[in-house]
Amino acid sequence: MINESYKVTEDVELVKESLNGDKNAFGEIVNRYQKMVARTVKGMLGDSVFAEDIGQEVFINLYYSLSEFRGEAKLSTYIQKIAVNLTLNEIKRRKRFFSLFSQKANNEMYEFEIADYDTEERKEASEIVNKALMGLDPKFRIIVTMRMLQGYTTKETAEILKLPLGTVLSRLSRAQEQLRNILVKL
Amino acid sequence: MKKSEIKKLIINSLNADADTIEASGKLDEEGISYNFSENFSDKVLNKLFSAGLTVNREVEFVKYMNFIFYRIAITGVAAIIVLLISIFLREGSFSFNSFLGLSDNYDESIVCLLTGNL
Repeated sequence: MINESYKVTEDVELVKESLNGDKNAFGEIVNRYQKMVARTVKGMLGDSVFAEDIGQEVFINLYYSLSEFRGEAKLSTYIQKIAVNLTLNEIKRRKRFFSLFSQKANNEMYEFEIADYDTEERKEASEIVNKALMGLDPKFRIIVTMRMLQGYTTKETAEILKLPLGTVLSRLSRAQEQLRNILVKL
Repeated sequence: MKKSEIKKLIINSLNADADTIEASGKLDEEGISYNFSENFSDKVLNKLFSAGLTVNREVEFVKYMNFIFYRIAITGVAAIIVLLISIFLREGSFSFNSFLGLSDNYDESIVCLLTGNL
């Protein structure tokens, strides 16, 4: 259970408390940013239980690298970078595995379990987004996830992905083209 | 929202001048949101703190060992390559004799050395 008194505490304070061994403070960080991490990880890997394992790994990695967090950038950006790195590593790992042991196509490497939706329309919308994302090349998918699901600007996306702004812009336009082709078939 | 509207929203959210926060907000309203399971933070905390520090230290130790192993392996491979190049330059081949540092007429030289008939 997470301590309610942490709800209004600043991120930097929570980091300090966590470094002093306060489990509840770290629990509050997890609570605050789990949705953001879920969007990145599940947007990239599909809505599956495996994505949740990667999500847990993100926060475990964060815990062990908290001492390296200087507070110069936002904690959310720091966590986002960890999430992106771990997710891209997982995609590489899956690619290697599937190319060695399976005949599955690239977009079949990802699974998603459609959650229960209150209306058929919402379920359909979710299916469209998932299928569109999974049909994209991973290097475009990460850009689309950052923009479409996280709402980051092009500049923020470039900073998180450590890519030049021009590269992000060109990938964005190519991703849009690829998405159009995918969406026509859905 | 209709299927066509969702598709349009997805495409438009990628425009360079799009209001990304508004687009992601609209998708969220349509139920396109991702969440982990309800007790996600408890699972993370359990993983972190129930295993104890010993396990974490072991993981750190294995990480360092891997790092050291790679450093040694890379240095070793580089040394082997330099050695092979120097053997090839000096002896002109990779024959067994050249690896042992013996030239082709080694037997005669050895005989000369042993008998003292220089």
